[in-house]
Amino acid sequence: MSVETRQSPPTFRMPAGFNGLLPALILIVLFFVVPVLALLLRSVTEPEPGLQNYAALLGDGTYARVFFNTFLVASVVTIVTVLVAFPVAWMLAIMPSALASIVFGVIILSMWTNLLTRTYAWMVLLQRTGVINRTLMAAGIIDQPLPLINNLTGVTIGMVYIMLPFMILPLVGTLRAIDPMTLRAAALCGASPFQAFRRILLPLSLPGVAAGGLMVFVMSLGYFVTPALLGGTSNMMLAEMIAQMIQSLLNWGLGSAAAFILLVVTMALYALQLRLVGARRMSGGI
Amino acid sequence: MTQPFLSIRNLRKTFGAIVAVHDVTLEIPRGEFLTFLGPSGSGKSTTLYAIAGFQDPSSGDVQLEGKSLLAVPSHKRNIGMVFQRYTLFPHLTVAENVAFPLRVRRRPEAEVKKKVADMLALVRLESFATRLPGALSGGQQQRVALARALAYDPPILLMDEPLSALDKKLREEIQGEIRRIHRETGVTILYVTHDQEEALHLSDRIALFRDGRIEQTGSGEDLYLRPATDFVAGFIGNSNFLAAEHLDTTDGTATIRLADGSVISGVRANGTFGNGQKTRLMIRPEAFGMERSPASAELNVEIVDVAFYGERRRIVARTAAGEGVDIRPTSAAMPSQDVSPCSRQVFFDPAAAFLFPA
Repeated sequence: MSVETRQSPPTFRMPAGFNGLLPALILIVLFFVVPVLALLLRSVTEPEPGLQNYAALLGDGTYARVFFNTFLVASVVTIVTVLVAFPVAWMLAIMPSALASIVFGVIILSMWTNLLTRTYAWMVLLQRTGVINRTLMAAGIIDQPLPLINNLTGVTIGMVYIMLPFMILPLVGTLRAIDPMTLRAAALCGASPFQAFRRILLPLSLPGVAAGGLMVFVMSLGYFVTPALLGGTSNMMLAEMIAQMIQSLLNWGLGSAAAFILLVVTMALYALQLRLVGARRMSGGI
Repeated sequence: MTQPFLSIRNLRKTFGAIVAVHDVTLEIPRGEFLTFLGPSGSGKSTTLYAIAGFQDPSSGDVQLEGKSLLAVPSHKRNIGMVFQRYTLFPHLTVAENVAFPLRVRRRPEAEVKKKVADMLALVRLESFATRLPGALSGGQQQRVALARALAYDPPILLMDEPLSALDKKLREEIQGEIRRIHRETGVTILYVTHDQEEALHLSDRIALFRDGRIEQTGSGEDLYLRPATDFVAGFIGNSNFLAAEHLDTTDGTATIRLADGSVISGVRANGTFGNGQKTRLMIRPEAFGMERSPASAELNVEIVDVAFYGERRRIVARTAAGEGVDIRPTSAAMPSQDVSPCSRQVFFDPAAAFLFPA
C-alpha cells in the first residue's frame, strides 16, 4: 500500500485563536501602546531632551512624599480589604449555593453602581456633620466629631468599599476548591480553630489572597476619584498629582514621567507575583 | 461490672423531621475492632460523626472511660480518624502531614521526627516522606492518612469507609495492612463500611445498622450463622427465602409446610409463631447438598441453569410453587454429568434453615 508521506514545508503559523484576538489587539496597540510610547517620549523630551523630569521626581522631597503616600494608601487599602474580604469569602464558599448567589448578586450590584455616586455617598456619611458622627454623638459615645474625611481614614474606608468585590471574587474561587473535610481532619488531629486556620486554611488560600491582593494594590496605586474626594491635601496620591501637573500646571513632561514610573512599578509588581505564584505551582504546592 | 472503654448510650440524631439515628446503644471494649455495617442512610456514619464530634447528637451520650465526650470539642477529643475522601493537607509533604498532629500539640522536635519515622515505617511509606500528597496514589494517600491518625497514639481510631474510593485489589491489600496495624498497635478501631466482605474480613465484631437502629451485634460468624432477623440474613451473605406455613414449634425448632406442600421439621425458629401463621424460611445457597444424609430435608426443584464458578457451581432453580432458588454446591459435590437442566431433589440440613416472620 502506498501512503503519501509528503511533509508540507515549514511555514510560520499564527497560534490557534490568534485571529480572534486581532480586534482587541489592534485596539490596545492604537489606544494604549502608542499613547504610552508617546508619553514616554514626552517625559524625556519636554521641556528639553534628557532625564531631568525623572531626576526631579525622584530627587524632590515633595514628590517623594506623594510616592510614599501612594504606596502607603495602596498598602493599607490592600491589607484592610484582605482582612474584611476573607471572612466574607469564607462564608460565601461554605454557604448553600442558593443563598451564596443572592449574596454574590448584592456584591456585583454594588460594582454596577456609579463610582462617583458611591463616593459622594461616603462623603455624606463621613463628614463632620455626617450621619456617622451625628449618630455616635447622639448616642453619647463621642463628644467631638471624629475626623473621618479628608484624611487616610476616609480614603481607606471609601477605597476598601470599592475594592472588596475584586478581592472577594478570586478568594471565593480558591476557598471553594478547599475540601471542608480537610479542616475536620485538622480538628481531629488536635488543631484548634485558630491553628487549623493558620496552618491549613490560610496557606491553601494564599494564591487567592495573592491574586486579589495584587489586583487591589495595583488598582489602588492609580486610583483617582476616591482619594481626590475623600482624601486631604496633605495625603495626595500619584494620580491626583499627575492630573494636577497636566491639567493645572500644563507640565506634560513631568506628568508623563510620573505616569511612566507608576506603570513600571505596576508591571514590576505583576511580574513579581507571577514569579512567586508560578514558583509555588512548579513545586507542586497550591 | 467493669467499666466499658467506649460506650454509646441511647444515641439519637434527627435532622429536622428526618431521624438519622433512632436509638443506638453499644459498649466497646478496649482494643476491639468493631465495624458499623449497613446500607447507606442507615445511620452508621452519623453515629461515627457523633463520636468524632462533628455532629451533636439530639439525645443520648458518648462516653470514653466513663466520661462524656459530648462537651469536648473535636480538637480536644484526641481521636484519630481516616476519612472516605482523601483529606491530607495538600500543601504539606507526607512527613509534614504525619507530623501535623504532633506539631499542633507542641511536642519536642526530636520526638516528632522519631514518631514520624515510626509511623511511616508502620504504613511502609518511608521513601515517600518528602513527597506531596498530590504525587501519591489513592491507596498511598489513605496509608498516610492512617499514619497521621495514629501519630498521636489516640485511644480510638475512627475509619469512615476509607477504602471505598479504591479499586478491589488495592482494597484487599490495604485491608491486610489495617489488620496488621490493628494487631501491632492494639488501638480500638471503629470502622464504617457498607461492604459486608470487608466487615467480615476485618472485624472482631460487627454492628449491623438498619434505619437508624442496630439490627444485630456480633461476630461475623454470629451474623452469618445465627442471624437474628431476616434483614441480617439477607444482608450478610446470600440467602433464599421460601414462603412457609408454620405448623408447630417445640424447643426452638419448628415444623413448617412449604408452598409446594412438603413438610419439613427441625428448622430453627427465630421468634414465636402461631399455628398456621405465614412465615419465611431462609436457606443459604451453599447449605444445599446434592446427596442425602441422615438428618437432611429434601426440596424438589427444577434446575433451570447451571454455571461453573471455579470452586462452586451456581444453580438457578425453581420450586414446584414457582419460587426461585439459588443453589451453590461445591464443584466436587456435583460432577459435570449432573449439570443438564432437569427436575431433581436437593438436600439441606434443617438446623441450617431459619424461620422468620413473613
